[in-house]
Amino acid sequence: MHIDPLRDGFSNRFALMALSILLAIILMAILAPVLTRFPPDYYTGQIFSPPSYSHPLGTDSMGQDIWSRLLFGARTTLFVAASVTLISTLLSFLVGASAALIGGLYESFWMRIVDAMSSVPPMIVMILLAAYLRPNLLVMVLLLSFLSWPIGARIIRSQVLSLKERGHVYASRTFGASWWHILKSHIAPELGPLLTAIMIQDARRAVFMEAAMGFLGVSDPMVISWGKMMQQALAFTYLNVWEWWLLPTGFALSLTLVSLSFLGLSLETAMDPRLRKDELGAE
Amino acid sequence: MNDKRASCRSLLLNYIIALAFIIAMNFILPRLMPGDPLHAIYGDEALVAMTPELEKSLIKEFALDRSWIEQLQAYIIGLLQGDLGFSYYYKEQVTSVIMGALPWTMLLIVLALVMATALGIILGIESGYRRGRPQDHLMVAGLMFLSGFPMFFMGILLLLIFGVSLGWAPLSGAVTPYAGLEGIDYFMDVLSHLILPVTALVLVLVGETFLITRNTVVSLLEEPFILTARGKGCSELAVKYAHVGRNSLLPVVTKTGMSIPLLLVQTIFIEIVFSYPGVGLLLTSALDARDYPLIQGILLLITVLVLTINFLVDILYKRLDPRVRYAH
Repeated sequence: MHIDPLRDGFSNRFALMALSILLAIILMAILAPVLTRFPPDYYTGQIFSPPSYSHPLGTDSMGQDIWSRLLFGARTTLFVAASVTLISTLLSFLVGASAALIGGLYESFWMRIVDAMSSVPPMIVMILLAAYLRPNLLVMVLLLSFLSWPIGARIIRSQVLSLKERGHVYASRTFGASWWHILKSHIAPELGPLLTAIMIQDARRAVFMEAAMGFLGVSDPMVISWGKMMQQALAFTYLNVWEWWLLPTGFALSLTLVSLSFLGLSLETAMDPRLRKDELGAE
Repeated sequence: MNDKRASCRSLLLNYIIALAFIIAMNFILPRLMPGDPLHAIYGDEALVAMTPELEKSLIKEFALDRSWIEQLQAYIIGLLQGDLGFSYYYKEQVTSVIMGALPWTMLLIVLALVMATALGIILGIESGYRRGRPQDHLMVAGLMFLSGFPMFFMGILLLLIFGVSLGWAPLSGAVTPYAGLEGIDYFMDVLSHLILPVTALVLVLVGETFLITRNTVVSLLEEPFILTARGKGCSELAVKYAHVGRNSLLPVVTKTGMSIPLLLVQTIFIEIVFSYPGVGLLLTSALDARDYPLIQGILLLITVLVLTINFLVDILYKRLDPRVRYAH
């Protein structure tokens, strides 16, 4: 698994494109207050105004500037994606690696939970929880993390299982190294590319689920979310406001998701040498 | 033989744990909510219809005046009798409300699944056969782009382009209301309402089947039996479909089976976009009205469907692939 994902995967044109789109969205989110003159909840006094110099994307049914809401919506999306990714990947790593290293009843217990949790689509559990709890952003992040770790945990466990049989790990064990030392200095570094792939998948799932909850109308109504904006805009398709309300929001969300899938795919290709050669066009 | 049975039992146990988890959530969530549990169980709509007598009979039915254990018992016995509760929003049993919507959802899912799989296999074989060439790169990039799209935005795009702007397809529903159509006209009407939602589902679904078929084809092309087939003078078409195509079916079948749960979830969103009167649209109106028995009933039904399908696919997969059968 000695693959440098940065060199192998991202040399790919698509990955580069995906990376630049994500960077642009991150910049949009960070610079949001600079890029717009209106706070996202500010009532501009006119509803459904078409795009103009002061409102590049017009205003919505509540008289709010859509461009501002799009920028601040990116903040929500990225915040949810980043925090869910961190928490979920950490949980996957802890459970997956410890299950593989400790084994026995401990391993069976966790793997049973992982198997059971991955047999129900997380979306269904999320809708059920959200219907009752109407979660705010923090609760949403925690729920999404709680639902998304099992997939990664299973992948990490099987990788660690094969890693721990390697010669250098055996050698280290004969020198009396503790499991924690082995995990830290021999296994974690080897897991790098795999962890990156899991993080990208987690991020993609988090972005999608957050938008989907907004679209279903079960997320916090005070949070500006692309999914929520699309749900509101969808009610007005009989007016031509969708051109500057529904479409830009949908494309922002889709571009984020597509970029993450492309990034994940090129990383997978980089990690699987069988597929790598034909992606590079050398037959 | 014993090993096989043991692995089957272990699988079944997973599904039972998952089902128990959902049922436990269905039971615990309304009782955790602040305020009157009866209100949390039945939602906002029930308050309008609530009379003291009804309240008394409902408290008795859910054993709300007794211990948690007895409440759980009452709940499980109700479920076993197929009683998912009463929807005060629709003024009907939850089971019959869901059964009214289920056929439309099934229609969408079956059509989308068949078309997406067939298209995915054909495109996958063609693309894998041309690996490294421009057509291959174009197909991979294009289909990955499509399948990265969130399902509901794909639906919205089709709706806006073909429904709103061009006016070629109906905007919502499954049939034209009050048209009183019969026979072939009714069939065509249903079909015209199906085109956009099914297309949206197929466009997003086809990528996965495509990619798996393509990758299988790419590795199959290096096998000796392909060389043999070419050597004995098989036509390209026969090599492509009878040799390569047939052997790439197994992973595709498994993957298709495994993608049904996802498809069920995504159909919910497509139905919302197109106001298609299936289970997904029912779920949103239940969410809007906070009709909790209906929300729970729908999610429980989807869970049971998903678990059953997963279990069947697992068993079918073992039967289809002798390697897996012997390995276990």
